[in-house]
Amino acid sequence: MYYRRTLTEAQINRELLGTVLSTPLWWVVLTGLLGIVVAGMLSAIGFMFNQGLKVTGLGEPVFWGFFITNFIFWVGISHAGVMISAILRLSQAEWRRPMVRAAETMTVFSLMCSLLMPLIHAGRPWRIFYWVFPYDWARGIWPDVRSPLVWDPTAIITYLTSSSLFVYTALIPDLAVIRDRSTGWRRTVYGILALGWHGNPRQWKLQGLAGILLSALILPVFVSVHSIVSWDFSVSLVPAWHVTVFAPYFVIGAVHSGVSAVVTLMIIMRKLYKLENYIWEEHIDAVARLLIVVANTWLFFFWLDLVWALWLKEEQEMAVWQLRMFEAPWSWLFFLFFTLGYAIPVPLWMFRKVRRSFTWMLWTSLIVNFGMFLERLLIIVPSLAKRGPWVFDWASYRPSPVEITVIGGSVALVSFLLLLFSKFFPLIPLWEEKEGQLFIDEIKVGARVVPAIVKEH
Amino acid sequence: MHNGEHGHSAGEYALEGLATHADVAKDVLSRYQEVTPRYRAWLMALGVLFILGIVGFILRLMDGFEDGSNWGYFVATLSFILSTFMAMPIISAGLRLTKANWRRPFTRVVENMAITGVLMTLMVPVALAALPPLEGRLNIWFDFPLGAPGVWDFIAYGTLALTGLALLWTLALPDLAAARDHLPASSARLGIVRWLAAGWEGSLRQWRVQRQAALVLGAVYLLTYPLVQTLMVADFHLGLLPGSKDAIFPATQVVYALQSGIGLTMMTMFAMRRMGGYTQYFTVEQFWALAKPMLALAMLWFYFWWASFISFWYGREPRDVATLQYLFLGPWMIPFFTSFILNFLGPLIALIWNPVRRSIWGPTIVGTSIVLGALINQTRLMVSAFAVPDHSQHVLNPIPPAQWPGVPDLLIVVGGISGCVLLFMLVSKIIPPVSIFEVAEGLRLVKVRRFLGRTVRVIAKSH
Amino acid sequence: MATQTQTQVPAAGEGRPTNHKWGMVIDLDRCTGCQACVIACQSENNLPINDQERFYQRRANQWIRVERYWEGEFPNVKARFIPVMCQHCDNAPCESVCPVYATYHNQDGLNVQVYNRCVGTRYCANNCPYHARHFNYGEPVWPEDLRNQLNPDVTVRSRGVMEKCSMCVQRIRRATIGRRDPEDGAFDPACVQACPTGAMTFGDLNKSDSNVSKKAHDERRFRVLEGLGTNPSVIYLKQVDTHA
Repeated sequence: MYYRRTLTEAQINRELLGTVLSTPLWWVVLTGLLGIVVAGMLSAIGFMFNQGLKVTGLGEPVFWGFFITNFIFWVGISHAGVMISAILRLSQAEWRRPMVRAAETMTVFSLMCSLLMPLIHAGRPWRIFYWVFPYDWARGIWPDVRSPLVWDPTAIITYLTSSSLFVYTALIPDLAVIRDRSTGWRRTVYGILALGWHGNPRQWKLQGLAGILLSALILPVFVSVHSIVSWDFSVSLVPAWHVTVFAPYFVIGAVHSGVSAVVTLMIIMRKLYKLENYIWEEHIDAVARLLIVVANTWLFFFWLDLVWALWLKEEQEMAVWQLRMFEAPWSWLFFLFFTLGYAIPVPLWMFRKVRRSFTWMLWTSLIVNFGMFLERLLIIVPSLAKRGPWVFDWASYRPSPVEITVIGGSVALVSFLLLLFSKFFPLIPLWEEKEGQLFIDEIKVGARVVPAIVKEH
Repeated sequence: MHNGEHGHSAGEYALEGLATHADVAKDVLSRYQEVTPRYRAWLMALGVLFILGIVGFILRLMDGFEDGSNWGYFVATLSFILSTFMAMPIISAGLRLTKANWRRPFTRVVENMAITGVLMTLMVPVALAALPPLEGRLNIWFDFPLGAPGVWDFIAYGTLALTGLALLWTLALPDLAAARDHLPASSARLGIVRWLAAGWEGSLRQWRVQRQAALVLGAVYLLTYPLVQTLMVADFHLGLLPGSKDAIFPATQVVYALQSGIGLTMMTMFAMRRMGGYTQYFTVEQFWALAKPMLALAMLWFYFWWASFISFWYGREPRDVATLQYLFLGPWMIPFFTSFILNFLGPLIALIWNPVRRSIWGPTIVGTSIVLGALINQTRLMVSAFAVPDHSQHVLNPIPPAQWPGVPDLLIVVGGISGCVLLFMLVSKIIPPVSIFEVAEGLRLVKVRRFLGRTVRVIAKSH
Repeated sequence: MATQTQTQVPAAGEGRPTNHKWGMVIDLDRCTGCQACVIACQSENNLPINDQERFYQRRANQWIRVERYWEGEFPNVKARFIPVMCQHCDNAPCESVCPVYATYHNQDGLNVQVYNRCVGTRYCANNCPYHARHFNYGEPVWPEDLRNQLNPDVTVRSRGVMEKCSMCVQRIRRATIGRRDPEDGAFDPACVQACPTGAMTFGDLNKSDSNVSKKAHDERRFRVLEGLGTNPSVIYLKQVDTHA
């Protein structure tokens, strides 16, 4: 049920700026612990730089493994921010309000994390800027624009830039609030960041306009990013990669894992920051409904991928699916991927009780992301490790401790960055909440009083 | 998002004096009741065209089914009906699930289109007879045909048509009852309307059952539709093109279908404004709101096409190259680029402007262009597949020439479309073409208030 | 290409169209699977020693490898061999996926690898249907006493770069120095030179009278994975064994 929870502006300020204006002990401990894990990841990367890629589990013919899987995984997670913010903002869904900032921030940090992956995966990372930046300063030759690996950084850097702008634009009014409540050098820094925001009508109008424009402009970028990542695979000749359905299949899979990650994040945030007044059962319920639609669309694309893999009855393509579905350890992973990514959570979400239970939603959304990580792994590795025509090349892949450390560390890295962010900026936009409070209304329908929303138009 | 300056003035939402269910019912049913000479003239014209279509069909039938390429245009008509008329109930089901209030006036229009499922189901066996045998060609049934494709296709199309009709009937019940109570005893329609209304009296239990049934049937329709489209393109398009492996295509076809479904909704709303006099119901709000998904679908049209194009272009396998050469760059280039402009480029350029979206004319013209483009596109897809002489090749070689329509083909296309419009017009005089109860419900859920010095709408959250 | 360093060997085809299209014919009916070509390639092209550990790691670096397969049904089974190296495809899948032009097609019909450009994305290796590309996962090392046997004409590749058969491009450069047009059979890649049964023939496919061109039109000819449309420059000859 929607019922009115009227919060005063002072209460919103006090509750949402809690971690920004004071430092709780749990924050210090948690950040410290995560910092240690991140340091472990950085030393693993350093070790790998020093020794070369021989410390990974990669070989031939499996040239891509955990790093690329993780790259796709984090790009996927990053799709949540725009999905939640831009689409819901454009469609004026009220329930977006408490989750936009967290989702957008997660987008930025997970994109940074994903960008790290192909860089460290390359054989000579110190030369990578030849490729990432399309300038011919160093070599007298431009990058080859036919290569999907040129499209990749272009798309991701565009997405990173635009989503950072998106976060920043939405942050300005809140920065001004913090500025007015802090002293000393902090006041100066927040003052500079707030760009002289005073909340006059012109500023609000510009800020609103910028938000809408960025939402509309970011949507094509959002769709193109994961499509371009998918084209890394589908424009190649590798059986089971050369599939036309990959672009929308990847995008919808990304939304599936990303929105699930937002649910996880919201529930953890609610617990840690005591945001019971802001994140309600209704919000999680609404996201879960969205997730049901997304997951079933994903299933349709997955099914198309499977059916059309068998369509031509090509030996190599069959070999890949044989490996994926029937041969250990891939068959186990495949089973896990499908049960965790779809078969357990989606039927559960059909129940209103589950959708409105924070515990259930925390676990179901977490397992979706385990499943989706495996999905990406199953797309990449078995396609390379299949029983191809070259019998001396039949080999599989097993990740090394270094790779596992980096994967674990990447989760810690994103959480660590989010915690740091929450120390300096509120994770729930104050002004969105205040606006939302204004729009809550009631209406008399027949004999009943029904909660209602004010719509301007 | 929306500037207050352009907002509706206070009270406008009350549909110019219609505030209650009784008001709306009276207004809609009086238009529904009268049968104008213009309506009769249209019926006559469409009937003649439909009969001409049957003549074309008989001409083709005399050539027999040995040469499948004769039937390309027939299948294209079937595919056009499936992906335009039959896509329209999805719009209502989807918008009902998302609780969009602006859907209310036109849900009935799109649901009424489900009646074309009758014609579609009649056409399916003929199309299946024209299909070459499964042996030696690509098909979705692999090694386990078990009566495929005939039995399964017929079951699938039949399920879709029946679900559509059931959805239409369930949602029409309250309005049929209103019509039953409104029509004079002398009306010829009264018998069938009374029969269809099935004793609806609007008890709480009836409403609850009706609401649940509508949601379930809508969901079933939503889920069945992509599967039927998958069968359609697998059997009639991809399966006949040697070496074509285009996993995205069923989804692409669904996108094509939703787009042209919305296009036709725009055209129908416009026609009903001009000719039926339903100007109060199909207002700028409906056109404006529906123009946004239409813009999104125009971009998706490009996106889905591009996803397969780029995979073929860079894959460069001989079968990819042949498919590209045949469908896009060779004999079917002109139809392809025409539909590219009509379905993507034109709508994109037009609809990114809010003033164009926020008008009656803009979305109507774009909708017309989309429907025309969809017809050309479906023709390209189906006729090209049926024109391949040897379906057992691994790579399409040599590339067959484009096949232009003969007189019977043109008659079939025109007749098929006229038949659908005819059915729609007939059913509009049995089931009120505007959903009275939905509009009335909408009126109760929306109130106009003063808020921060502006007039705004307060929308109740319905449960 | 202003940054090109001055060397005594001019870059092949610089500023002029060449008429060469280097190619190879391998007669599988003569191949005994003796692996002489593999060893010759190993020492000519400064490949590190593939010891047991490297094979276990699946990182053995062989520019040419001899694939063994079986023909016929039990009990009439015959071992067959096929030497596989980079096929120097005219329509090479590896080239278009490289973001930095580290692999490209030169004017002589060769698919060449530029080690200095390579950043090690390994995309080319994934996209090679012949599995002919090898990646230096670690710095290559040789036993101390083998240090001096390295071929001075061939770069020693560092870790992190991709490499593959070059058709002994150093020998081609030397033979065509000063735009000379070498006679047919004047020089051969190391593998061809080492083949004891003369199963391999190298030469210019553009010259109709060259040995390789004549053999390339043999009725036993086929190319590996031809259905992919890669158009390889390596042609195999094999009699279809009706008794197998």
